Amino acid sequence: MPNEMTIEENVLYIEALSHALRDEMRHDPSVMLMGQDIAGHGGAFKITKGFLDEFGPQRVRNTPIAESGTIGIATGAAILGQRPVIEMQFADFISCGFNQLVNVAAKMYWRTECSVPLVIRMPGGGGMGAGAFHSQNVESWFLHSPGLKVVAPAFSDDAYRLLRSAIKDPNPVIYFEHKFLYRRERTDLKGTEIGDRVVGEANVRRSGQHLTSISWGWMTHRVLEAAEIMAAEGIEIEVIDLPVLSPLDLDPILQSIEKTEHVAITHEATRTCGFGAELAARISDEAIWNLDGPVRRITYPDSPSPFNKKLEADRIPSVDVICDGWRQALQS
Amino acid sequence: MMDQPANSSPSNTGAPPEVSPAAAWLDTGSDHALREMHAYMRLTREWDLRYEKMFKTGALSKWYSSVGNEAATVAAASAIEKGDALVSLHRDAGAILRHYVNIETLIPEIFPSNMNLIRQPLGGDSRERLFRLACQMLGRQHGYSAGHERSYHYNHMEPEHGLIHIGMISHLGSMIPVAAGAALSFQQQKSDRVAINFIGEGATSTGDFHEGLNIASVWKLPFILIIENNHWAFSTPTSQQYACDNLASRAIGYGMAGVEVDGNDPIAMHQVMQEAVQRARSGEGPTLVEAHVGRHRGHSEGDDSLDQVPGDELRGYLENDPMDLIETRMVNSGIVSRAWLEEIREKCAALIMEVVDEAMSMPEPEPNSDRSIHAE
Ligand SMILES: Cc1ncc(C[n+]2csc(CCOP(=O)(O)OP(=O)(O)O)c2C)c(N)n1
Ligand SMILES: [Mg+2]
Repeated sequence: MPNEMTIEENVLYIEALSHALRDEMRHDPSVMLMGQDIAGHGGAFKITKGFLDEFGPQRVRNTPIAESGTIGIATGAAILGQRPVIEMQFADFISCGFNQLVNVAAKMYWRTECSVPLVIRMPGGGGMGAGAFHSQNVESWFLHSPGLKVVAPAFSDDAYRLLRSAIKDPNPVIYFEHKFLYRRERTDLKGTEIGDRVVGEANVRRSGQHLTSISWGWMTHRVLEAAEIMAAEGIEIEVIDLPVLSPLDLDPILQSIEKTEHVAITHEATRTCGFGAELAARISDEAIWNLDGPVRRITYPDSPSPFNKKLEADRIPSVDVICDGWRQALQS
Repeated sequence: MMDQPANSSPSNTGAPPEVSPAAAWLDTGSDHALREMHAYMRLTREWDLRYEKMFKTGALSKWYSSVGNEAATVAAASAIEKGDALVSLHRDAGAILRHYVNIETLIPEIFPSNMNLIRQPLGGDSRERLFRLACQMLGRQHGYSAGHERSYHYNHMEPEHGLIHIGMISHLGSMIPVAAGAALSFQQQKSDRVAINFIGEGATSTGDFHEGLNIASVWKLPFILIIENNHWAFSTPTSQQYACDNLASRAIGYGMAGVEVDGNDPIAMHQVMQEAVQRARSGEGPTLVEAHVGRHRGHSEGDDSLDQVPGDELRGYLENDPMDLIETRMVNSGIVSRAWLEEIREKCAALIMEVVDEAMSMPEPEPNSDRSIHAE
């Protein structure tokens, strides 16, 4: 089947996801979708609206409310040649399928040399006053589980390209898509080459010589805004976006630090054992002699997400908080 | 089965155990059926006895015995064919050996020349499979996981021979959805192949038992889950595990077929399995089989969990050893003599001894930390 590619201007993040799924399903008949309410209803966020009509009930399957059962069944089918893409209704619910993911799917290749081409789409993140169970950023759980790949795109073009690569990848990929970006972020889909697997990517989205900022997902957008403000103060931030968290492409980060001698990591996930901690450790291992100050982390506190939007906003790193964090990093 | 409640067919029971009609088999070549079951049961028994002995001498650090489960597992795997998926657990040596090995190529005199086989063996090299299986048990480089995984925790695929075997992870219940997923892949490919999976009665209490069976039934997957009910889970008796009369009746709650069967009777077990496989192949969905077997050994070799089993109960299990039952049945029906049975036992034991010794002499894996966590 032709490897058709959607090329469009000004595409919403959520549409990029739909396009990627549809294009990959047209391209590869072994791709199948599973999830709660994804068939007739098109999913909680309508990403698979119309898919049932185009691809039929065998390839677009509503599942019962059974995250563990669904991930397990997808894993078994993947071992024997299917390419299931599961939609978690909300990323938070992955905890109910945790064992299947970290023990069965993640370890399968190492244990048995059977590959598990499985994608789990994870609508995650906060900013919408959705409370403690519809707002979490749980990437660390999976970064700590060898065998999984972890993707968290910030831009529509990356979202499209990486979802297609994730589906082609012979390994289980946890694909974090940020709900706050769904209907806010727009980028052109230009028809760049689609990889046949997910590889580490660290993209410089803005260059600067004073401080290296590392972020992913929604936070990259706040970081870019904050970098504008700092530029007005004469401080140039180098913004590195990580659309792929695992495998990690560390080299561009180290190269940037060699130039800036300062680094700050911004993430929406809670602080302790967040990916920022691992990045800080790697940077210390590899580049501590290039640093002119401590590695700073600008993160959510170690707290569940409150329902009240004001309370929530107080916890998510804001543009101001990010700027303050950078100023402190540069003072030290 | 979805639009028919689970009690509409004779093989669906929520009610008391059905005595399976073994008589039909006895009329039509029962001696052949018995001989075939017996051959693999004996091979399995000798397989286990060998490792139990090695455990006692300290040559092996851990062993979960399949002794007592041979009739149920050999009969279950006798109902599947090339291209079907076997998903096994820790007491399923019988199913694995039945599926992997053409015993006639290893012990040519084991069957008479005019024998009608219940199931065709897979092609390929049986001796090599047996040898690699022994290497796997002993953590050797030539094992199916090259020493990285324990005993039955491995997969083995030989697509050219239609061998699909997915082994277990430790977490009980986890493999039920995975096995149902193998069945889903067959449904997606519009093939008539089926997946069978085993579970102990203890692990029927897990969430994955419920989630896996429910989805399998809603999607009518060609899937058979066999509960090997030995009435004990480590030290926990069924009275502390579940409060229903029997586990087969849970099938009613899932809208699928459920059958309770004497797992010490390989002919009855095979009949139940054949019906279940037929149901699955013809698109009628999954079956839950509850096979009652005896608790012959402790949870794992060397622990004292068997002490928890009351003396009378344990005696009942030992008196109904499926190996003794089938051999007595064969002798009483004049199929073979005691002397012949002893001869076959010795041949199986010698074969296992030879293969395991050979595996013992094989190299252990070199220390490495570069085994890939990702497929390329
Ligand atoms: C999820 C999980 N919890 C606990 C254990 C530890 N464990 C291993 S075997 C076993 C008993 C299993 O009993 P049963 O399912 O009846 O199988 P049997 O050993 O009797 O064949 C237990 C508790 C485990 N392996 N997995
Ligand atoms: Mg048990």
